[in-house]
Amino acid sequence: MLYVHNSNCISPQQTFPDTALDLLNESRDNQLLVKEPVYSNIPPGILRRMARAVRMCVGAALPLLKGIPEPDGIVIGTANGGIEDCIKFLNQIIEYKEGLLSPGSFVQSTSNAPAAQISLISKNKNYNNTVTHRGLAFENALMDAVMLLKEKKDGCFLIGSVDEISDYNFNIDLLAGSFRKEIVSNRQLFDHPAIGTIGGEGALMMTVSNAQEGAVARLEDLQTIHTPDETLLLETLKHFLLRNGLTQNAPDLLITGENGDIRLQKFYQAVESLFPEHISIARFKHLSGEYCTASSFGFWMATEILRKGKIPDIALKKGKQTEFRKILLYNNYRGMQHSFVLLGKPVG
Amino acid sequence: MTMETTELKHQVKEQIIKFLNLTTLKTEDIKDDEPLFGEGLGLDSIDSIELIVMLSREYGINIQDPKEGRKVLVDVNTMVDYIEKNRTK
Repeated sequence: MLYVHNSNCISPQQTFPDTALDLLNESRDNQLLVKEPVYSNIPPGILRRMARAVRMCVGAALPLLKGIPEPDGIVIGTANGGIEDCIKFLNQIIEYKEGLLSPGSFVQSTSNAPAAQISLISKNKNYNNTVTHRGLAFENALMDAVMLLKEKKDGCFLIGSVDEISDYNFNIDLLAGSFRKEIVSNRQLFDHPAIGTIGGEGALMMTVSNAQEGAVARLEDLQTIHTPDETLLLETLKHFLLRNGLTQNAPDLLITGENGDIRLQKFYQAVESLFPEHISIARFKHLSGEYCTASSFGFWMATEILRKGKIPDIALKKGKQTEFRKILLYNNYRGMQHSFVLLGKPVG
Repeated sequence: MTMETTELKHQVKEQIIKFLNLTTLKTEDIKDDEPLFGEGLGLDSIDSIELIVMLSREYGINIQDPKEGRKVLVDVNTMVDYIEKNRTK
C-alpha cells in the first residue's frame, strides 16, 4: 500500500532524536507527558506562540523535510489539536464577557494548526489535510496517504499525528472514568488491571511513498471498525487475515494497544485468542499512555522493530525475539474504535 | 521622568514579555525607544492585537481606531505616554 521511509516520534519516552525505550520514563499523577526536545529548527519568533501539540508536531516534521524539501502533501491526524489553547480561548470568552479576546490561543487551538504551520514554515503549497476521527484519526491519515499514493504514484507525502494532554480535558476524562482514580505507575500498569488507564500524548511524523528503496517498513493493509461487539470485531479480523493470506501463516508479532483498563480486556483477549500460542505479543501503552492517536506510537514501534529486528524488552508481553517479517498492530479506543494495521519488511 | 513613569515602563515591558510570550527576553533587553514592529523587537500583526488586548485588560484602554493604534504602538515610550493619559484603571 505504501512504504514508510524516515520518521520522528516525540513521545513521553526517549524516542527523539535518539531512541532508548528500555530507559523507561515513569508516569506522574497518571500522566505520561512528553519530554520536549530543544526545537532548534523552529524559528524562535514562531515557536513562542506555538501550542504544545503544534510544537511537537512541527518539531518532529521539520527534520524530515531536509530529505524531501517539498512533499506532495501533508496529512495529519489529530483528535483534539491544541486542546489546551482551545479551552483557554473558551474561558477567555466567559472571563471577558465576549469582549476583546487574545487571538494567539485561538489561532493555535484549531486542529489544522500543526499541518498549517509546517506548510507555512516550509512554504509548501501542496495538498494539506487534517483528519480528526477521534480514536481513528491516525489511521484515517494513513488511509488518506494510501489514496493519495494511488493517484500520484511517484509522490512523496509527509504524514503523521499528534495529540496533547490538557489539564482541563484530563480532568473531564478522569471524571468520565477513562483514567485510573488511584495513582498507578506505568511500570505497574498491567500488573493490577482496573477501571481506567493513564493519559499520554505524543507526535509521530514520517515520510511515505511507493518507493521500496530506502524504506524501513511497508504498510500492507489497514482496517478500521466502530463496534462495541467483540464477535463482530473477530469476524472483521478473520476477514482481514484471510485477505492477507495470514490464516495459515500468522504474523510474527502482534502489537496491541492494551492499556490496563479491565473494561477493554475482552477485546484484546479475543484478538490474542485467534493466534497460535507461539506468536510473540508486545504492547506499548505503558510507554505512550492512552490518547486518541496513541496507535501512532505502536505504529512507530512496529517500524522500529522491523528496522532493528528486535523488540524492546520493556514492550514484550510474551514470546521471544525472532526474525520479524510481518507485524500486526491492533488498537482499540474506548471499546468502540478499533484498527488493524499490517506492516511488513520492505523487501521480500 | 517621574518615578511613576519609570515604574510604569518597567511594568509595561513585563506585560509585553508575558502577553507575547517573549520568554527569551528580560525587561532590560527592551529599550524604551526601540521600535516594537519591523526592526527592534520584530513583532507582527498578531502581536499588535495581543498588545491592544493587553491595554484593554490591564489599563482599561480600548483602541478602536487603527490609525490611533499605529501612533500608540510605536515603542515603550509611546505606549507609556498613552497609558498615562488615557488609563481608566
